[in-house]
Parts: sequence; structure tokens; C-alpha cells
Amino acid sequence: MASRPELARYGLCTLDLDGCVTCGDVAVPVVVVEVDGLEAVCEDRLGQQARIAIDLTPEAVPGDVLLVHLGVAIARVGRATP
Amino acid sequence: MKFVDEFRDPRLIRAAAEEIRRLADPDRHYRIMEVCGGHTHSIYRHGIQNLLPPNIEFIHGPGCPVCVLPMGRVDDGLSLAERPGVILTAFGDMMRVPGTRGSPLEYQARGADIRMVYSPLDALKLAQENPDRQVVFFAIGFETTAPSTAVTLMRAKALGVKNFSVFCNHVLIVPAIRAILDSPDMRLDGFIGPGHVSTVIGCRPYQFVARDYGKPIVISGFEPLDILQSTIMILRQLREGRAEVENQYSRVVPWNGNPAALRAMAEVFELRPYFEWRGLGFISQSALKLSAAYAEWDAEVRFELPGVRVTDPKAAQCGEVLKGVLRPDQCKLFARDCTPEHPVGALMVSSEGACAAYYHYVHRVGAVGR
Repeated sequence: MASRPELARYGLCTLDLDGCVTCGDVAVPVVVVEVDGLEAVCEDRLGQQARIAIDLTPEAVPGDVLLVHLGVAIARVGRATP
Repeated sequence: MKFVDEFRDPRLIRAAAEEIRRLADPDRHYRIMEVCGGHTHSIYRHGIQNLLPPNIEFIHGPGCPVCVLPMGRVDDGLSLAERPGVILTAFGDMMRVPGTRGSPLEYQARGADIRMVYSPLDALKLAQENPDRQVVFFAIGFETTAPSTAVTLMRAKALGVKNFSVFCNHVLIVPAIRAILDSPDMRLDGFIGPGHVSTVIGCRPYQFVARDYGKPIVISGFEPLDILQSTIMILRQLREGRAEVENQYSRVVPWNGNPAALRAMAEVFELRPYFEWRGLGFISQSALKLSAAYAEWDAEVRFELPGVRVTDPKAAQCGEVLKGVLRPDQCKLFARDCTPEHPVGALMVSSEGACAAYYHYVHRVGAVGR
């Protein structure tokens, strides 16, 4: 059961299932739950959490939607809408 | 599923397919290249080609980094794993890629210490946990992946981790598009541009496609409706005699990309004068190496590599398939000598490779139907 279904509009990949990671065009949409320095606890559309490096999206705050590739956020794409 | 339904709604899909039929000139054959493997996969998985009139053909581009890596670079990387004290780390998708003397999995079976990692940051962590070993990360990928390697190297430098290095095989998508456009046997009408690569580099780097070559290019999302809308945008440009960069995937791709990621890449990497691409040959300024400031973490500086060059098997026609001159099933080896279980060419190894996608979604389905 999806806990954050709105993330699907940014892609269906999840933290445990993101296809061929060498491909340049795979990224997992997640919501920032908590920021801790250069890392953030993030949650995917299924509610799975992981620590993500946010060196490249330093402006990220809780509630932001990030695209994650290989454990590193590469883009901030919006805000989560409940 | 709510939120993705909007991109898979049958009513909208039918309307988009109808609009494509209306826009396409029935007397013209359109060849549209989707540059990236993610789009290739989506086109096959959702049967998008079947929705289009037969005079619109998708040509599968070079956007799978595993597929374009020459076997010599695989051999060079694997030679590191044969050195005493070295742990070679690589993505899972690299593990079945054949080198001259076997794949990383086969090397592992023969005793080499090769470990799968999900992220280059995991390789750095492994180095911190094993200070008496040399940990090398086999880096591969386009501009979506290179920023992760850059972040890892910046952290390695900041933390002073000296037993970590990177064997860098990052390549750039824009020079590959240019090489395809310059190829004499290539005739294309437009491009579906990469989605997530463009979140990093933005849309500007593609402007030469429109300006210098007069071809439309539309940055696209991955859902069926995204790809159909992008096709509509290309057909509209062609019909109106325009050639522009347009962004269908604006819900994710900003026009200017991610400045922080571009800064990190500029600090950590520099352009190689040239790099060999499987199937496309040597392309100038098409790949990255570590910059002088990060030479200490460059595996090609730290270790002496054999610099192997291996010619692809003559019978395999990977180059022609990569450039879109041949369909995967027109290669002499397809589904006979070259299968996903026993790949001869790299296009059959990666799930995003044009041959593997064609095998799974067209050839096998056809075989069941027969």
C-alpha cells in the first residue's frame, strides 16, 4: 500500500527497486523527513526510509521532493502534497 | 494508481495517438531517436510503437553506459582486481559484463575480491572499514551518475581517505548525440532527449542539435503519455518547419539543470581529449577523468593499467544497432549466439540495452505467440 502515492508522478522507482543503476536515467522520488547536516532521512512512495546524501541539494528541507540516484539527491523537484 | 494514472489514462493515450496520426504526413517516414535506455525500456514495456502509425519509427540510441563501454576498459578494470590487496567495487549491473577473460562474476568465482555496491558512497565506506586494503570503485554512467562519484570523491578528500580510488569511465551524452548526427549513415528526424540526465545538465547543452543540425529535440519523461506527448511535440516542430529544444518533462527538469551538481562535477572531473565508445569509435571530449586536484584518488594514476584495446567480435553488429542503422533482430547473432543468458555484445547484457529490451518484450513475446 503506497503511503506517499503522490510521488508516483515523478516516477515509480523505489529505494529498493530502481532498475538498472548504471543507466543515466533512473532516479527515485523521495520526500525529505528530516535533515541532518549533509544527509537527510528520506521516504519513498512505499514508506521505505533511507539516509540520502544531500550535498547537491543543500537547500532541501522536510517536505521537499527529491530525486535520488545512487544514494545521492540529484534534484529537488517540488513539495510533497498530502 | 492515483498520480500515475494521469500518465497512463487510456482515454488520454488514445487521444495522443490520434493526434500523432493527424500530425504525421502519410507520405513521409519519420525516424525519431530516443537517446536514453530508460526510454527504450519504456517504449518496449508499454508497447508504445504499436500505438503509432507504421511510418513513425523509434530508433534506439546509445544511452546505456554499460553498452557503450569497450571491452578493453572492462579488462583494465578487472586487472585491478587481480592485484594483491585490492578490493574492486562495482554496480550490480556491471557484474555480468563480459571482459576478454570473463565477467566480474567469473573473476569473483576465481577468487578475485570484487564486491557489488549500490552507491559509490558504499565503496568509500568500505575503504574506511578496510584501511589495510586498496578499495577501487569502477565508475560508470552518464551525467546522472557522475555527480554521485563527484560527491564521493569530495568526501574522500575532506575525510582524508587515502586507500580509496576511482577507475573513471563516466561518459557524456551530448558528444554522443553529436557523433550520431555526424555519422554519414544516419538519417534522423528528431530526438527524444534524456530525462534525468537533464535534471543535472539542464536543456541548454542540447541547443546545438536544433541550431547546427536543424533537428527538433524534446526532453521527455518516461511514462507512456510523456513519450507520446514528446512525439507530438517533435511532429509539430517538423510540420511547422521549426527546430528547437523543448522540455516536455518540466515537472522534473529545470531549464538550467542543477548548478550544485554541475559545480561538483567541474571541481572533480575534467574532459578527456578523446574516449572510445563501443560501436561509435573514438569521440573527442566525450568522457571524464579526475581533475589534477583529485589525481591522488585516480586509479589510473595510482596503478599501472595495461591499457587494453579489444576489437569487438566481428559477427556482432553492436555498432550498427547502437547507431540505429540496424534493428536488434537484424543482427546476425541476435537470439541465436547472443542471448541475455549468454551475451556476446554488451547491448544484450544490460536490461536497458536495446537488444535485451527487444529480446524480452518483442522476440520472446512473439515466440510465445507463435
